[in-house]
Amino acid sequence: MDGMYILSKDHLRSFLRKINKANRLVAPIVNRHGDTLFSVIDDLDYAPYEFNQQSQNGIKSFFFPQQETIATYSSQDGDYSFTAPSDEPEPTVYFGVRSCDLMAIMHMDDVFMGEIKDQQYMAKRQQAILIGLNCNHPFENCFCNATKSGPFLGSGFDLQFTDQGDNYLVQVGREKGAALLKQWNQFFTPASEEQIQNQYQLSLEAMANFQLNVHADQAIQRLQNGQVPEEIWQSLSLRCQDCGGCAFICPTCTCFTIVDRKLSADHGIRLRNWDACTFSGFTRMAGGHNPVHHKTQSIKQRFMHKLCHDVKEHGSPSCVGCGRCVDICFGGVDIVRFIKMAGED
Amino acid sequence: MTNSINEIEEAEVILATGSNTSEAHPQIARRMMTAVDKGAKLLVIDPRRTRLTELADVHLQIQPGSDIPLMNGMMRIILDESLADRMFIEMRTENFEALQEMLNKIDLAEVERITGVPLAEIRKAAILYARARRAVICYCLGITQHVAGTKNVQTIANLAMLTGNVEKEFTGVDPLRGQNNVQGACDMGALPNVYPGYQKVDDIACREKFSKAWCTELDPAPGLTLLDMTHSGANGPMKGMFIMGENPVLSDPLLDKVEETLSNLEFLAVADIFLTETAQFAHVVFPAASFAEKGGTFTNTERRVQMVRPAIAPIADCRTDSEIISEISTRMGYPMSYESSTEIMEEIALLTPIYGGIIHQRLGGDKWGLQWPCPDQNHPGTPFLHKHYFTRGKGHFIPGEHTPPVEPPCEDFPFFLNTGRVYHHYHTGTMTRKSEALNRESNQALLQVHPDDAKRLQIREGDILCVASRRGAIQIPAQITHAVAPGSVYTSFHFSETPVNRLTIDTQDPIAKCPEYKVCAVRIEKAP
Repeated sequence: MDGMYILSKDHLRSFLRKINKANRLVAPIVNRHGDTLFSVIDDLDYAPYEFNQQSQNGIKSFFFPQQETIATYSSQDGDYSFTAPSDEPEPTVYFGVRSCDLMAIMHMDDVFMGEIKDQQYMAKRQQAILIGLNCNHPFENCFCNATKSGPFLGSGFDLQFTDQGDNYLVQVGREKGAALLKQWNQFFTPASEEQIQNQYQLSLEAMANFQLNVHADQAIQRLQNGQVPEEIWQSLSLRCQDCGGCAFICPTCTCFTIVDRKLSADHGIRLRNWDACTFSGFTRMAGGHNPVHHKTQSIKQRFMHKLCHDVKEHGSPSCVGCGRCVDICFGGVDIVRFIKMAGED
Repeated sequence: MTNSINEIEEAEVILATGSNTSEAHPQIARRMMTAVDKGAKLLVIDPRRTRLTELADVHLQIQPGSDIPLMNGMMRIILDESLADRMFIEMRTENFEALQEMLNKIDLAEVERITGVPLAEIRKAAILYARARRAVICYCLGITQHVAGTKNVQTIANLAMLTGNVEKEFTGVDPLRGQNNVQGACDMGALPNVYPGYQKVDDIACREKFSKAWCTELDPAPGLTLLDMTHSGANGPMKGMFIMGENPVLSDPLLDKVEETLSNLEFLAVADIFLTETAQFAHVVFPAASFAEKGGTFTNTERRVQMVRPAIAPIADCRTDSEIISEISTRMGYPMSYESSTEIMEEIALLTPIYGGIIHQRLGGDKWGLQWPCPDQNHPGTPFLHKHYFTRGKGHFIPGEHTPPVEPPCEDFPFFLNTGRVYHHYHTGTMTRKSEALNRESNQALLQVHPDDAKRLQIREGDILCVASRRGAIQIPAQITHAVAPGSVYTSFHFSETPVNRLTIDTQDPIAKCPEYKVCAVRIEKAP
């Protein structure tokens, strides 16, 4: 099934109930403290899913958890033996994923399923169905227009929804989406020409609705030409409070570190934990030397990676313009501020 | 804090003294940076160079323990420049004459000599502070952990009152409290001389009120201070102790003395979330629930009482602190049976005027807590203090004279040792040293040494140094840095492998009984 379809909002919950039969369901949910987070839906009848607020997290952690056991080990007479975890990931449908977070998954696919295949990531990824939701109303700190990763996306999803008031326009992306649509075709009717036209109109309106004005292209160009003065890195690094929040909240930050945790004299676990390039321990060598001067350069790698190296490597920046780091940063050294400073003469 | 945390963002001048704010209070530092972005002037008094001093418009790099001469000098300049707020002094304060008399005797050249700060810098800071319409002073343990700690604080108060920099929004004196709930612990009477809400033990009316509420006779004598207890020694008055969430075997000065006291107790019980150095001395250890496993309130540095809800059930046999206390009390013959922390909060409201209107129902939902004083349930809480009048009525100037550190450097011990904290660890590391990520960032104490001193003593980065004071010695790797001034060294007290409190002095401020952690004399040499 190709093309465009219509799902009435009245039947969204019943559609989700159907797909929930064979899949775990993840969607942005308001928790009891009022926070909107992508979470596993335990009980669809009581799931307060929320599509009018930006989810505080992306879906990164479902594929690349903050802490993940990558092996258990035991030791006997100085010999270590390692066992890979045996748990199989559940088939999961991610519903209501915004363009930025879909782009982020495409970026993570490049990292974890490029030349080197990360088995644990790949296992989860292969079990995932991504249902996107285009952004009619960009949120306060959004700038995906500047990073060309939204607000409406043409690929990267299995199905893509667009809110058209009483109904959703549904667009088929990849094979898995088509299969889902085919399996539950009673929910869908073909979209009219007017409804398809309306989506185009909505995407134009969304582009006009951004509150921030971010010139990422200019910053990218200046970084590539080496035109960003050292003082900018220095003044921003000085204000960085070293919390790592930007990397942890970022849907495309994929750095990790591996630690062994001893659980008894003869066994333990090997963990993969999120890491951040802004930490001084990230680059510090065993002898104590650090090629990155922490006080003046701690955030340089972050922005160079996002806006310069990845553009060269993959053709697009690995900042997807979700704006989450703008909200979370203590010191005001978020990427929007950097882009602004880098663009000033 | 007399202000709320967010008010710092709107100040015109911020004077930070004795505070390494960006490492110890990053959430406060963040507001300072925002204020600087908005054009505020940042003045920092610190014997060391920190991230904050790098951002500062004026950094007064004083000699350790010369805070009073510096601030007295600033006040003298403010008087000379006619920048004192005469109206405020007249209407809201008393004893100004005594301050003025003392200030008039000050020789500013002497101030320059004692503090080691050029007079022009002092003048610049004084005038900026005095001219500001909205100025806050943030201070921390660099002010209080001195033998002159109380006088330091009084001198800060003098400076604020002299310029009328209190009583208004965005303007005040803000001691930065450390732990998430140290303010709450003090509010609840975890001090030797007061009941909850700073109601004095030796006040008959207060005592009778609590006696009636608790249906028991109460001892009219104030209790002992911390070091009176942990330093009482092998033959001291202490026979038994119950220690909760504190690790004096690493955090108190004269660790040998602390160990002697604890190992000679007839009975020691410790409640903590991990088996700390202190818990290892205990006869009985209670595994306590962590912050994530208990409900109730924490009160932060801006006097804000906030709800805490259990995120997970206590793991294994852990119990919450209130359950541990109630159970011990019950078994010792005074039954306590609170059905929940809500019931405890109601008792606090009943007996503690400043918490009179604070009950759990007002703290839940989308509310961000209430700031005391909050005397009744219709009261919205108090964002900043001392509007219209001070707690005691008029603000009383208490002139303070220079009180030098007890142990200045000498020929045998030629360096100032200053102790403090690093960003990645919290106090004695009971929690933070369990984290692989934080340990990677920092897993050992380093002794900061100025490059000039390092060169003279032929010390290289990473050399193991033997640092000795009159009380003990430790071995510690060197870090060569301009963060410290020549003649001073600095390290942190988080690490049990390098217990720096074997070196620190136990001489205390005579009123607050806080030991002089910030200054003692040491000698350093390369370890053999």
